[in-house]
Amino acid sequence: MKKIASLMTSLTLVAALLAGCGSGGNGGNGASSPNSTDSNVGSGGKSVTLKVFIAQPRFKEQYDKLAADFTAMMKETQNTDVTVQLELPNSDNAAQILKTRLASNDAPDVFSLHAINELPTFYKAGYLEDLSDQPFVDVLLEDVKKSVTTTDGKVVGVPLETMSWGYLYNKDLFEQYKLEVPTTVAELREVAEQLKANGETPFLLSYKEAWIPQLVLPLAVGALMKTGNEDFVDRMNKDEGSFQEMKEMFTVFDLISEYGTDRALEVGGDDGAAKFAAGEAAMWLQGPWYAETILKSNPDMSFGVAPLPINDDPNATLINLSASTTLAVSQASKQKDVAKAFLNFVMSEEYSSGLFESLMFNPTATVHTYESYPWVDDATVYVKEGKAYQDPSIPQAVKDEVGKGLQSYFAGQMTQDEVLDALDKAWKSFNKVNQ
Amino acid sequence: MVQKGYRKYVSLLAFVAPAFILYALFLLIPTINGLYYSLTNWNGLNPSYQFVGLDNFIELFTEDPYFLDSIWFTLKYVVCMVIFQNVIALLIAVLIESRTKSKGLFRTLFFMPNMLSLIISAFMWTFIFTQVFPQLAERTVLTFLGQAWIGDPKFSFLAILIVSLWNGVGYMMIIYLAGLQGVPQHLKEAAVIDGANIYQQFWHVTLPMITHAITICLFLTLNGAFKVYEVVYGLTGGGPGRSTQVITMNIFEEAFSNNYRYGYASAKSVILFLIVLVFTVIQLRLTKRKEIES
Repeated sequence: MKKIASLMTSLTLVAALLAGCGSGGNGGNGASSPNSTDSNVGSGGKSVTLKVFIAQPRFKEQYDKLAADFTAMMKETQNTDVTVQLELPNSDNAAQILKTRLASNDAPDVFSLHAINELPTFYKAGYLEDLSDQPFVDVLLEDVKKSVTTTDGKVVGVPLETMSWGYLYNKDLFEQYKLEVPTTVAELREVAEQLKANGETPFLLSYKEAWIPQLVLPLAVGALMKTGNEDFVDRMNKDEGSFQEMKEMFTVFDLISEYGTDRALEVGGDDGAAKFAAGEAAMWLQGPWYAETILKSNPDMSFGVAPLPINDDPNATLINLSASTTLAVSQASKQKDVAKAFLNFVMSEEYSSGLFESLMFNPTATVHTYESYPWVDDATVYVKEGKAYQDPSIPQAVKDEVGKGLQSYFAGQMTQDEVLDALDKAWKSFNKVNQ
Repeated sequence: MVQKGYRKYVSLLAFVAPAFILYALFLLIPTINGLYYSLTNWNGLNPSYQFVGLDNFIELFTEDPYFLDSIWFTLKYVVCMVIFQNVIALLIAVLIESRTKSKGLFRTLFFMPNMLSLIISAFMWTFIFTQVFPQLAERTVLTFLGQAWIGDPKFSFLAILIVSLWNGVGYMMIIYLAGLQGVPQHLKEAAVIDGANIYQQFWHVTLPMITHAITICLFLTLNGAFKVYEVVYGLTGGGPGRSTQVITMNIFEEAFSNNYRYGYASAKSVILFLIVLVFTVIQLRLTKRKEIES
């Protein structure tokens, strides 16, 4: 049976290759049929295979345990034998694998997507199941729920990983020189001056990888949208806005560059983490996703997360709250009930807290009651005071463009206006492609 | 015994079939598919897409300065690579061939970088450019090594060239060595008797006798240089900004990041294919004509 199944799989793949993947709807279902169709087994219960696809191989242990616990729970409560087939591809090529599987009608029942970057596109292409009526929706934190809700108001995923971020700062250095976390650009300059006067480098620059300078854009856009320019993204989506409105982001970018370390364009993210951990600079424009790397090179490092000032309005100094890895159910799944049960299990009151703690993720739902890390708590303070905004949904193409644009700007090859024009153009072509 | 006409073809086909089927499955059919996608607006995900004719091709020549920039940058790289890689390889080959002892040692030494994969060489050199050179500049008199090799757009091209040459020269050198060893001794002796000095010998005897090696090497370097990706990816990632972006990188960016314009990216690949095709056909025609047999 297994041989036949694998033969069918390869044949389907070949057929998909020949058919050019794109014709849709006609690909064979051979791959999933033999095991996954419901069939009665001796014990009287049902036997089901659930295919789960999560692009986080680093958490294999935790997800294996989750799968085993889910199987046990289903056996106990519903007398169903569930075999969870876990697939944990590397995040670099996960998107490619998933797209190929979807296009060849071999979709996993549950798969992970990036809430901001991928969820809307996949929903529009019709691959996602509407989950609005599921019990887990009620326990999600309000701010987090927004990031898995589509423009037409449907909840389509369970947010696993969320980030609250601004920039990282070295708490020891701040304490040593009795510095306060700045709330305006003027104060930020003040802090930088004092650090410099004491012989420290204020900012760590790591601009070799374009996504790091890019970070300033979501921070600036999010803050400015929250303090006045609310419909910026909507207008950009209708070709009516312009990034000239966001020109303020250069103020803080220039400030950081002015007080930054040398050779910025030759330092990547990992080098940056090592340098920051070694105390080479007091602040780093980066999110807490580098926490693990930093602590690995310096376990005693004490650092915090603070909101980046964008202008001289303290109300615009806000934390960026964004969801990334999100679990969704495939529209084409034959086990939607089991898949939904799986998602509800992930968010269930009795199980969720332990799972999220073992994954070291931030709390995303009211059922999460575990202790979190100091830098998470730092950010949570701001979030609870309402000093946070939902990560603006800027198209990936625009984010790529701003990273490259700011690199060129930093190298002196582009002016501010040229960067902003390039961004406008990138968003326009995004609109054109995704009408 | 004379074989019947069709039987000859059957056995020929039988022998060719295994290779041909694999070739067709993994190269020919995807290529034809790619050609087809270049005429659509498929985004790599949507089940439905439209046929847009030549729109993609018109757009990439009229509205896409980044693509045109990447073509220019690649051409610059190709010209430098074809010239330097062959000149240096030939020079090393001649020098090694002129030695009486330890030929094997030098051959191995110069060939060794080629055994490393390009991406690993690129990462190694990233370390050298960003860590070793600045330290050298600080502690020795070699201050010119101290500037930003990768971060400065003016020097990153040079850095890319250095790594590519370091990695690629060895392979060409082996081909030239084989060519040099095939030059018949009696021709050289005849030239010496006629009073030719060492340069005349090289220009009028050796070089004409190794034109077939030159043909192969030019073909390989030309082809490889157009398709460069790993070195640039490993060293600069196309940056800072897009100042060192090559065509392949531009295509990759279009298809797999940005707006996932798969069809449009396919159109760009078709253009790259045409460029490589035209250049290699011209080059093969020109150098083939010069080849001679002894």
